[in-house]
Amino acid sequence: MDIPNTQIRPGKLVSVVTSLQKKSADQPGEEETPLKISINNLSVFYGSFRALRDVNLMIPAHKITAIIGPSGCGKSTLLRSLNRMNDLTPNTRIEGELLIGDTNIYGPNVDVVDIRRRIGMVFQRPNPFPKSIYENVAYGPRLYGIFRRGELDAIVERSLQQSALWAEVKDKLNQSAFSLSGGQQQRLCIARAIAVEPEVILMDEPASALDPVATLKIEELMQELKKDYTITIVTHNMQQAARVSDFTAMMMVDESRAGSVIEYNETQIIFTLPKDKRTEDYVTGRFG
Amino acid sequence: MPRETLDRHIHRLQDEILLLGSMVEQAVMSAMDALKRRDIPFARRVYRDDININEKRFAIENAIIITMATQQPMAHDLRTLAAFLEISTELERMGDYAKGIAKVVIRLGDYDIPMPLRELDQMAEISMSMLHRALGAFMEENANVASQIPLEDDQVDELYDRVYRLIVSSMISNPEVIDHANLLLWVDHNLERLADRVTNICERTVFVATGELLEFETDDNEEEIDS
Repeated sequence: MDIPNTQIRPGKLVSVVTSLQKKSADQPGEEETPLKISINNLSVFYGSFRALRDVNLMIPAHKITAIIGPSGCGKSTLLRSLNRMNDLTPNTRIEGELLIGDTNIYGPNVDVVDIRRRIGMVFQRPNPFPKSIYENVAYGPRLYGIFRRGELDAIVERSLQQSALWAEVKDKLNQSAFSLSGGQQQRLCIARAIAVEPEVILMDEPASALDPVATLKIEELMQELKKDYTITIVTHNMQQAARVSDFTAMMMVDESRAGSVIEYNETQIIFTLPKDKRTEDYVTGRFG
Repeated sequence: MPRETLDRHIHRLQDEILLLGSMVEQAVMSAMDALKRRDIPFARRVYRDDININEKRFAIENAIIITMATQQPMAHDLRTLAAFLEISTELERMGDYAKGIAKVVIRLGDYDIPMPLRELDQMAEISMSMLHRALGAFMEENANVASQIPLEDDQVDELYDRVYRLIVSSMISNPEVIDHANLLLWVDHNLERLADRVTNICERTVFVATGELLEFETDDNEEEIDS
C-alpha cells in the first residue's frame, strides 16, 4: 500500500488534497507496466450462444489481475479462453484476438500444447495426479523432454520452494499426493503448474474449497509468485479480490446473456470508488 | 435488499451522529448561556456533561468498528463509515470547546469584567447554524451545500479578530484585567475553532459523495492551544 504525498493546492475556497480516483489512465495497460496479455474484441460462442461479447482487456506483466462478477457472467469462459481450454468444449468458436506477449494464441500454426505450457492453470478443487508428490511436479517437465534425474530433482525442489510447500514435504516426496491436506494439495498443484516455467498462471477460484488459513497461505503465495509470473484469478470472493489483486475487471451479462467487461481499473479504485453503478452495487453487495 | 443488516447499521449510526451533533449544539449554547448569565452552577453542569459527549463518541466509534469488522463494507459504504469515524471525532472536539467555555465561566467567578457578548454570541450562533446545516448536508450527501458552508467561516473569523482587538485594547487600557481578559480570549478562540471543525465535517461530506478529499481554507494554525 502506498500513501501518496499530499499536496495542498493554493486556492481561495478549496484545494484537492487527494482523490481515490487519482489515476487518469482508463485502462491499467496504459501505464508504464509492460503488458503480458492483450485481449482485443474477444467474443466466444458456444454453438449459437454468445458467451462473451467484445471483451477488451490489457493484463500487465507481474501483476495479479482479478476477474469478478456475478455467476454466469463469463468469468470462467474468459479465463479458459486464455489458454485455449475452451477448445475442449465442442462447437466453441471465437472472434477477436488474444495475444500473450506477441503470440496470437488463436492464430494459425500455433502449438496448443506449447500455449498451455506457457499459460498454466490452477483449478477450484485441488486435482493432484494419483501419484507421489515428486511425480506430480516432475510430470510436466518429463512431458517436455527432461529426463535426467539431477535436473528433475532440481526442478521439483525449486517448484516446491516457490509454492511454499518444500519445508512441509521434503522428507516425504515419495508419498502419495493424496496424503496431503487440501491446502497442501492446492499448493502442490501450483508447484506442478510452475514446474514447466509458464509465463502466466490462471487461477479459477483457487481457494474456494479451502479453509481460511489455507486460503490466506495461497493468497500470500500469490504475492510471491507474481514476481516471476503474471497471475489472473477468477474469484467469487470479493474480499479475496480486494486483498490479492493489483487490478480488477468487473464482468456482467447483457440482455442477451453475453458477458462483457464493464469496468477495469486498479483494485483500490474498484473497491473504494468504482465508476459504474453496477460495479458499485456488486462490490457493496447490493446487486440483484 | 441483500444488505439489510449493513443498511440498518448505517442508518443507526446516522441517527447516533445526529444525536451527538445535537448534544454538541446544546453544550455550546448552554456554555454561552452560562457565560452571559455568569451562572457558575450551570457552567459546572455543562463542564461535567461533556463526559456524555465523550461517551457517546466512543460508543459510536465502537459501533463503526464492529460494523466494519462484521459487514466488510466496500466503496460508498466504506467511505460513509470512514466519514462517520472522522465526524464523530470532530463533534467530540467541538464538545471540548463548549466545556472550555464553561471552564472560563467557572474561573471568572464573579469578577466584574466587560465582555463583547454580542460578538461572542454571534460567533456561537453562526457556527451552530453551520453545524446544523453541515450535518444535514452530510446525511443527504449534498456535496454542493457542503462546499458552500465553509464560506461562512469568514464571518466567524472577522468576529474573532474584532473580539480579539477589543479584549487586547481592554488589557492595554486596564492592565489589572489581563488575567481575566485572557480567559475571554479562550472563549473567542474556542468559538472560532468551532466553525473550523464544521468545515472539516463538510470536507467529509464531499469525500463520501465524490471520493475526493478537499481542503477548505481555514485559519486553523492554533491547534496547540485548543480548549
